[in-house]
Amino acid sequence: MADRRDDFIIALRYALLKKGTKQKFSLFFLFVLSILILSLDRLSIPFIKTTRAVLNDFVYEVAVIASAPIKFVSYLSYTGRTHFNVVKKNNNFKEEIEMLKNERNNILFLKTENKSLKEALDLSDTISKEQGTAIVAKVILDQESPYLKSLLINKGRKNGVAKGMTVFSKNYLIGTVVESNYLTARVLLVTDLNSKIPVLIQESSVNAILTGAGKSTDLMLEYLPEEFVLEPNKIIYTSGRDGFLVAGLQVAETYLNKDNKIIIKPLADPQQASIIYVTNGQLN
Amino acid sequence: MRILVILKELLFRNLAVIIFYTLSFNVFEGLKVFPDLFIFSFNLQMIIVYFYVLKYPDYLGLGHIFLAGIINDVVVGIPLGTSSLSYLVLAFFTSYIKNVTIRSRMTSEWITFFPALFFSNLVYFIIINNFSDLSFYYIELLRSTFFTFLFFPFFYILFKNYQKVISQGKE
Repeated sequence: MADRRDDFIIALRYALLKKGTKQKFSLFFLFVLSILILSLDRLSIPFIKTTRAVLNDFVYEVAVIASAPIKFVSYLSYTGRTHFNVVKKNNNFKEEIEMLKNERNNILFLKTENKSLKEALDLSDTISKEQGTAIVAKVILDQESPYLKSLLINKGRKNGVAKGMTVFSKNYLIGTVVESNYLTARVLLVTDLNSKIPVLIQESSVNAILTGAGKSTDLMLEYLPEEFVLEPNKIIYTSGRDGFLVAGLQVAETYLNKDNKIIIKPLADPQQASIIYVTNGQLN
Repeated sequence: MRILVILKELLFRNLAVIIFYTLSFNVFEGLKVFPDLFIFSFNLQMIIVYFYVLKYPDYLGLGHIFLAGIINDVVVGIPLGTSSLSYLVLAFFTSYIKNVTIRSRMTSEWITFFPALFFSNLVYFIIINNFSDLSFYYIELLRSTFFTFLFFPFFYILFKNYQKVISQGKE
């Protein structure tokens, strides 16, 4: 019994401390180093923050370059598939063009009407133009790991992007900045499990918390009143109760899926976002 | 011309390390245009760590495992040191298995990969829960772990043959 225990301890010690012929570090040393880095990362010392920001910038830039070939392959594959479908779709498009011509006339009328209504309501089309805080940024990487659904953008502190700023895609809320480096920043998407937005549901005074559902596009509503029944085709707005996001930003919409279940989808598609607007949270 | 030959040899011999670092930069996120493939997503880095620490420790240094883990943490956006510690736990477990095993066979190594994966993911889970405010997609992690375990024999044969080719080239 004692021999077996000794053997076990020897095997463990050997695994921890023994270095191979070409190994420069022992497992024990690297364990200690990892724990040290983990602990330092947890501390909010300015020096550590700066080091982390520099490291982030460097790794993000390398990641963009390293992922370029795969992105190019994806692009080629996408372009190829699109090309082969062109002829098939051509006839359908011709019919659609005729239809769209008719619709365009209607849209022109609605556009004019919309403009005059916006003027009457004192609304503007541009994002926070008066405050000069809308920063146009390009998505350089989008990470969909089991831990974070986030975007990396090509603007950082140098361009005025700060932690906590609100991010829009096509005038819809897409997420918030959770990490700002000198040249780059990370945007936590509304579809992430860690994203918690206080919201209001259209045509009701019900408050809830909108959060990611762990899937790429679906969202969930938490803390809804027990008797409340969610209806399809309702827009979900920010309530502004967190004092962080302004009230009235359109975030998501409810739908009825094939199984007759209500699902919530963000109005902006995070997977399609390539150009985004970083603002102070205002959408006039 | 000679430089090219040397470069080619260098790349060929260090292919495992290069793949390991490349994966740390999450280069395959560009493949999201094939959403159907994502069902089978698995952690190739875990397979590489387990295989090389077990079979050819001289070809994948522990320092590389540590550094690649740090890069992975930066790219994914989790606390620094999480992946490193997870990979090192896997390497430690593998090293222990290597020390106590007399005859190695693919099937036995495949079975021991399961507890190694379990402990490695357990460390990941504990760190994320205690050292960060992040929530977890448990199902995705479970699915990824399952497919990592399932695809192990395929990569085992692939890497073993690749190492055979390298040793033949050396001779």
